[in-house]
Parts: sequence; C-alpha cells; structure tokens
Amino acid sequence: MRHFFRAALAVARKDWQIELRTRYALNAMLLFAVVTAVLVSFRLGPLGLSRDRQAATTLAVLLWVAIFFAALNGLSRTFVREEEMRTAALLRLTTPPLAVYLGKLLINLLLLVALELLVTLLFVALMNARIAQPGLFALTLSLGGLGLAVATTIIAALVAKADGKSALFTVLAFPLLLPLLIVAVETTEVALAGSGWAQAAPGLRLLAAYTLAELAASLLLFERTWES
Amino acid sequence: MIRQLATPAKISTGLLLSFVAAAMFLWVPAHEGLGNVGRIVIVHVPTGWLTCVAFLVSALYSLLYLRRGRLSDDANAVAATELGLLFSLLSTVTGAIFAKVVWGTFWNWDPRETAIAVLMLIYAAYFALRTSLVPGVRQRRLSAIYALLASVSVPFLIFVIPRVTDSTLHPNCAILNTPNCAGLALTADGRIQGQVDDFRLKLLDVQESDTLLTATIEVRDPASGTLTTLQPSFDLVSGQPKAIERVPDTLREVQIKRVSGTASARTIEVALANVGNIGLLTDQRTLITFLVSLLGFTALFIWVWRLRALLLGLQAHVQGWNA
Amino acid sequence: MLRLADWLMIQCPVMNVTGSQTLRLTWHNLAKHYGARPVWQHLEGELSHGEVLVVSGPNGAGKSTLLRLLCGLETADAGSIIYEWRGQRWTPTQMRPFIGVVAPDIAVYRELTALENVHFFATARGQSVSSEQLHTQLAQVGLLERAHDQVAAFSSGMVLRLKYAVALIQQPTVLLLDEPTAMFDAAGRTLVEHIITAQRQRGITVIATNDARELAWGDLLLKAGSA
Repeated sequence: MRHFFRAALAVARKDWQIELRTRYALNAMLLFAVVTAVLVSFRLGPLGLSRDRQAATTLAVLLWVAIFFAALNGLSRTFVREEEMRTAALLRLTTPPLAVYLGKLLINLLLLVALELLVTLLFVALMNARIAQPGLFALTLSLGGLGLAVATTIIAALVAKADGKSALFTVLAFPLLLPLLIVAVETTEVALAGSGWAQAAPGLRLLAAYTLAELAASLLLFERTWES
Repeated sequence: MIRQLATPAKISTGLLLSFVAAAMFLWVPAHEGLGNVGRIVIVHVPTGWLTCVAFLVSALYSLLYLRRGRLSDDANAVAATELGLLFSLLSTVTGAIFAKVVWGTFWNWDPRETAIAVLMLIYAAYFALRTSLVPGVRQRRLSAIYALLASVSVPFLIFVIPRVTDSTLHPNCAILNTPNCAGLALTADGRIQGQVDDFRLKLLDVQESDTLLTATIEVRDPASGTLTTLQPSFDLVSGQPKAIERVPDTLREVQIKRVSGTASARTIEVALANVGNIGLLTDQRTLITFLVSLLGFTALFIWVWRLRALLLGLQAHVQGWNA
Repeated sequence: MLRLADWLMIQCPVMNVTGSQTLRLTWHNLAKHYGARPVWQHLEGELSHGEVLVVSGPNGAGKSTLLRLLCGLETADAGSIIYEWRGQRWTPTQMRPFIGVVAPDIAVYRELTALENVHFFATARGQSVSSEQLHTQLAQVGLLERAHDQVAAFSSGMVLRLKYAVALIQQPTVLLLDEPTAMFDAAGRTLVEHIITAQRQRGITVIATNDARELAWGDLLLKAGSA
C-alpha cells in the first residue's frame, strides 16, 4: 500500500510541476473568476448589495456561479492533456489506475482551494461581503469544493476520451452537480447571514453524503474509464 | 410462451391506448373545478412516471453492460434513454399546458419540474457524450459509466428539491385524498400561527358543539397579501371535514383534516390543498381511464423499448462494432 | 463488484513471489478486428526467456497492435495471452509493472526535464530509486548532460533515448520496442543493440520493425499480414 500512495502523490506532484510551468488550468480558472467578480461588482458592489435584505442570497448564488464556471474552465485540463499529449498510455502502463485517480483528485483539489480563496477574497474586497460565520463558511466551501473535485475528476476522465472536450465537460458535469450546487448555495447563504450552525447542519450532511457517494462511484468506475 | 403472448399483448396495447384516446375526450367528464384541461392528467402522469422508469432501466442496463459486456445490454440502455428523453418531453409539454391554464405560468421551478428538467439534462448529456465518441467498446463503456454516475447523483435531488422551494403546485393528494396532504397542526392553547406553503394561517377561535367543531382561521394570501377569515368545520361524530372553505381568488381550499386533544385544548390539523387536485381522480370514469392509460403507456413503453433495443443491437452487429 | 484482492494485486506488484525466474510468453488463437476489418485471426506463438522476437509486415498489418496487446493497452477480440513467470500465470495487465515499452505513440512529458520524467515513472510504478540509479540510467542512454533540460527542447532522437531510459529504469522482464531506431543515428542503433543483448539476461524482447538491419536481431520472426 505504501507504493500505492507514493504513486498517487507522484502523479499529483508531477501535475503540479507541469501546471506551474504551463499554467493552463490556473490561468483559465483564475482569470474567469476575476472577470466574473469584477463584472458582478460593477453593478452590485460594494454598496449596492449591503442595502439589500437579500444580500446573503445574491452573494451566495454569485459566489458559486463564479466557482462553478471557473472550475469547469480548468479542472478537465490535467486529464485532457494526458490524452492530447499522448502520455496517457505510459501512465496507464506504469501507474495503478486508482493512484492516477487519487493523484488527479489531489491536484484538482489544490486548484480548487486556490480558486475558492481567490473568489472569496474578491467578493470580500469588491462586493463588501460580510461573512457572519467564517468557520461555517470555510467548512461549506471545503465540503462543497471536495464534492465538486470528486465529481469533476471522474467526468474529466470521461471527457478526455471524447471529441469536443471543453464543451462536453460542462454539459456532462452540470446535471450531476446540480444537487451539490443547490445545497452549497443554501448553506453558504446561512454562513453569510449568520443564521447559525443548526440551520446549516442538514445542508452540511447532504454535502458530505453527496461527496461520499460520488467518491465511491468514482472509485468503482474509474478503472473502466481509464482503461477504455 | 412469451413469444406466443407477444402478439396478443401488442394488440391489447393498441386497444388500451385507443380506448384512452377516445375516452379521454368523449367519456371522461370535464372536471368540476378545472374544466376540460383536467383531461390532460390522463396523459401527463403516465408519461412522467415512465420518464423515471426509463431512467432506472437505463441505469440498470448500463450496470449490466459494464459487468457482462453484452451488446444487447448496451442497446437496452440506449433504447431506454431515448424513450426517457421522449417521455420527459411529452410530460413536460403536457404539464406546461396544464400549468399555464390552471396556475398561470408555463414554468415555476416546482420540485417535480426541477426533477424532470434535471433528468432531461442528463438524457441530453448522455447523447452528447455518445455522439462525440467513435462507435465501439469505448463509446459504450463511457456512456454506461456516465449513466451510472448520474444514477448516483439523482437520488440526492429527492432530498435537495424540497429545500429549494417551499411550495409545490403539484398534488400530493390527487389520487388518495389522505390527511398527509400539505397541512399543519394548530393548537388552540399554544401554536396558533403557522405556514403552509406560502400561505400564513392563524387560528383565531374554536367553537365546539357536541357534533360540530368550527374553527375561525385567518389566511394570508402570499400573492396579494390580503387577509381572509374562513370558518371550516369538522364533523366530530363521523370524523370527516364538513365545511370546506375556498380561499378567495385562489385555487386553494382550507379544510380540517383531524382533531385531537380534549375540548379545552384542541389540536386541529388543517390542510390547504389545491382546489383542482382534491378529487382530480375521484370521478370514477376519470379514474378508470387514468388507470388504463397508465397500463397502456407502460405496455407501449416496454414494446417500443424492446423493439428499439433489438434494432440497435442488430445495427451494432451489422456495422461490426461487436469488438 | 470490486474484488479487493485482485485489485491490490494490480496496484502493488508482488515483489517477493518465489518460483522460477525464467519467463515464458504464449499467445493462443489471438484475433483482433478494427471495425469489421480483421487485423489477424488465429495467431499462435510462444517466446521463452532470453529470446528476441521480431514482428514485421506492411503498414496496417497489426505489428503495433500485437505489442499493445502484449502490454494490455488493448484487449484481443478472441484468444489469450499468458505470461508464465515465478510459478504463476500473469495476464498482460498484471504483468504491466514488469514491462518496459518504447513506441512512437507513447509519449513522455514535454514540460518535465529528462530526470523528472525518469524519476516520475519509476515512482509511479511504486519503485524507490536513488538519484545515483537515475543518473546511471540517463548516462546509459547518453542524456546525462541534458538531465535538467525540459523535454520540449529535445530533438526527436533525444526524446527516443529518454523513452529508453524510462522503460529500462525498472529493469523490465519484458521489453517491447515499436520501431526501435526510427529516429536514431548509427550511435543510437548501437545503443539499442546493446540494450537488446542485455535484455536477453533479464527476459524477453519483442520488436516491431520493417528495417532489414533489425530483422537480424531476432531469434524468431513473425511476419504479420501474410496470413
């Protein structure tokens, strides 16, 4: 098992090195996030929203719109590049399939953490967003991000095998992620408004359950996807 | 045995659906509250039900394909998905017509509307994935994997959707008019105010004789904001609601479903149901036609699904994709 | 659904299995189609420890396909491929950790340096390699001076040398070479010859080529596409 986790870490590290040198995914994601936040802020922020009673709702929706679409811009890159650069074959020959999945999941998580941090900072700076419960907010974004990473990683593996990859990624990911997004928006709203942990608990449980279910499905189905 | 039964089954499917088509317009009476548009239920509900069946069938055969790798499993899954897409369109269109006439809007992000929209998106995505892959083992495997991933995600909608919106326009009590319809318990000594959907209800007073209980309830209409005082009553002897009061200018009715507690501290369970839904199928001829329609459409589904799967399987064989 | 034991077998190559170190590869009644077009059918053959097989034939005769089947990158439509080694029978997929492949359509990472590539593929196999081993390997294929350069800046001959380094770092029991010298000069050709000679000690080699000079490297010759 030690070999296995070392292999998974090696995959993540290799992708991180490549990402730092090319910045394909990071640039696409972060620029999208900045453009979204700036565009939204022009009309709504920083003072426009604070006068609004529904500010928490609006902010939560916009925050997840920015995260979701920015993520879909970048998260398929690591898999798609393996197929396009024809390195997938050697990776299949050398690396246990699940180590590839976990490595890619790890790199996508890293990318998402960077993205969520940036989006949060932008919203605080440009929209004057006040986070009433920072702990809950961080937990929601972490759980939501984890679920997003788990689901998008396996879909990226699917999409990498198909033509018209970038358009297909959104089409495939959106219906699967809808339950996650709905709950994440709602729980983020609770965190922004500060309605308390009790209000957020069912949402957090759903996020965790969704993430676990998709993770289990991914672990079972990844080898088939990867070896197709 | 099954082969011998196939032809009679096909003929009876044709007969059943012919009966439904004719009965829907000629035999079934126009609904009291909804008028002629009420007839649409006879097509709307079975197509909606088959959309969900198609999704399950497609997920099941996708799993079988991954396990056994038979061409026929893949053909069955694809055929079910195609039919699912078709039936979801039928169900959505009929539902939208009904909604426009009765509720004044084609689309409302009502829970069931959300669910069917997501199913439609998944079906569409399935075919988008399939067409972007070269026909062959990889195409079949990847689409099966996607169908399975979707089947993991969809059940969460059941938990998620009721949280999206507080109100459903869809009847939960159309077929069986049970006390489980949207409602709440109002207690004379404690909780005298509550909310059903977006309507706020307030218990003002309870009058009680030996046989009859009459509650005075104030209802706030969320659309107009007007307050109305209604006096639904309940027959304590038979245990049935007596006076059912309509909230003015809406399609909602207030009725007392159940009464508990003693005379000094009553808990009254109040239901706020859609006028059109209560008894949508209580008419016997409507109910019979509806059940025949359900049976007929299900039989049609199975028939077309088998036929389409056979065709797809043959096609795959002929084109030599049986790698 | 998931047979954990099988799965772990593939995930973690069993290093301490005892039994005969000599290897035998057999393929039986093998068939492969692309669409409706059969590449070949009823292919039979075997290869023993120390032997070198050369597969030749016109374009589209399925030379590369056979190599891809031998390492489990593709599956046959019929027939079986079995490695007998260390007292067990291995499928191509189970054998993967012990197979080294060099082929034109199998690429290394352009964005990484030569050293990082070799290090990554060794670690990804679950191997722990010392920096000394890595350098020795790069020196063997003549890339020591360029160890810290990104592959994107390499000539095609140098990329091929790096592919050899990646394939050889784990001392593979099975070596599969598709067009082994397509980008090489005379020095490169000598290098491959040495590699193949050394491989006779470790196990078997399968070469897919049409180059007349390379046909002589094999003990056995399989002419594909003639059937």
